[in-house]
Amino acid sequence: MTEPRLVHNPLLAWRAIEGEVVIISPEDSVVHELNATASFVWMQANGERTPEEIAVLLAAEYEVAPEEALADTRELVAHLEAKRLLLSSPAAEGSRHG
Amino acid sequence: MAETPVMDRLIRRTVEQHLPLNVHFDLTYRCNERCVHCYLDHEDYGEVTTAEVKAVLDQLAAVGTLFLTFSGGEIFLRKDFFELLEYARQLHFDVSLKTNALLVTAERATRLRALGVRRIQISIYSADPVVHDAITKVRGSFERSLRAIRFLKTQGLQVKIACPLMKQNLTAFRSVQQLAEELGVPYILDLTITPKIDGDMTLLALRNTGHDLLPVLQDPVLNPRVKGGQEVMQSVPAVGSAVSSGLESSAYDDIPCSAGHNSCYISPYGDVYPCVQMPMPTGNLRQQRFEEVWYGSGEMRRVQSVRESQLPVCSTCSIRQYCERCPGLAQMEGGDLLGAYERACELAELNARLAGVEHPVSALHQQQRAAKFNGTFSAVLPGTGSIPGLVRIAPMRAT
Repeated sequence: MTEPRLVHNPLLAWRAIEGEVVIISPEDSVVHELNATASFVWMQANGERTPEEIAVLLAAEYEVAPEEALADTRELVAHLEAKRLLLSSPAAEGSRHG
Repeated sequence: MAETPVMDRLIRRTVEQHLPLNVHFDLTYRCNERCVHCYLDHEDYGEVTTAEVKAVLDQLAAVGTLFLTFSGGEIFLRKDFFELLEYARQLHFDVSLKTNALLVTAERATRLRALGVRRIQISIYSADPVVHDAITKVRGSFERSLRAIRFLKTQGLQVKIACPLMKQNLTAFRSVQQLAEELGVPYILDLTITPKIDGDMTLLALRNTGHDLLPVLQDPVLNPRVKGGQEVMQSVPAVGSAVSSGLESSAYDDIPCSAGHNSCYISPYGDVYPCVQMPMPTGNLRQQRFEEVWYGSGEMRRVQSVRESQLPVCSTCSIRQYCERCPGLAQMEGGDLLGAYERACELAELNARLAGVEHPVSALHQQQRAAKFNGTFSAVLPGTGSIPGLVRIAPMRAT
């Protein structure tokens, strides 16, 4: 079974400012700030990549071991999914707009 | 939005890097109300087209704008409003709206929710329909705006009531407070009545005098610093500017406000100003790209260069902390971006007195008194400059 693709929650507002992503949830006006590596992961979550594929890109970009990049990516993705900032693409299809 | 360490860092970063974090975009000046205090000309002289707005939004997203306010005029009069809103959301802007809401139906409220609009500010002038409708000059407008607020609340959208206070509705502020509480929405009472955007000063006659505003300024719920007051259960003060983004930060401490530093205004004709209350043309987006105006305009740089500590009069003022000086109004009312102006000084003195300062006098008024004193004394004793007692009086500056 293939891993789900990651996609941003379409209700969020966000912007990469000077390489760091700021995210705002319109429902509660909570502001989230990602550091540079988390921002890199966020920018790759375009609905077409799995966490494994993103981890490969992360390892290459930051010159870290693939297994370390994968562990960090999975931890970050779990955190962002728990906050409903990132969604897995099958669940996202129905709620996407535009 | 409440001040948080994340927001503070974001604001500081964008002020220091001069990034346009926050943009107020008036999509039209046309309106279906005719509010007596409105500073706009409602004729349409050729608004930006759908394609032009989208091109500007692309440019804003590219330079880092996150907070986008669509306002007017009445935004729902634009037939392409939802197309523009949807486009803005596809570009991931945090979108707030300012509207009278007369055209907000249950269906439209649902669409706004689905598109991820974060906040909607609606003007309500009184809980008395007669007073409200007399200000908007549209019979039934109070009931329609109120119905819209309920539609929006039903959708779970954040609604905020803005109530500019003028002579026509000064006594209504308590009823607006009560109405907001009943509706479960925050509110802001705005004491600012501005000149028209073309510089016409006639609207200033609608302003309440400082004395008349005392019940508002003394209200302990609205002003927690007033003795005996209680903490206001809101993230922002209940008295302030409805134009302000509400984003607070210590990064603004030595600059007059965010205008031109990390925020700006775009008119329906593509003109870029530092702020809607600072209608100083810095460029036009039909002729230039946004970044050319933002980074290249001499006028924008002039605004950016102003520091509070360098204001010739206000930096010497002993009651500066009680003052809500607006550089745009300083320019429009006093003719000097760096200057003091009467209204701000009057309200600062009132606020200082209410906070317990004895005989507060603004720097502007001190200088005016000194000049008057000098003038009177000079008439009696020519050559007063040589009299030791007068040497201590600060030299008068042109303001």
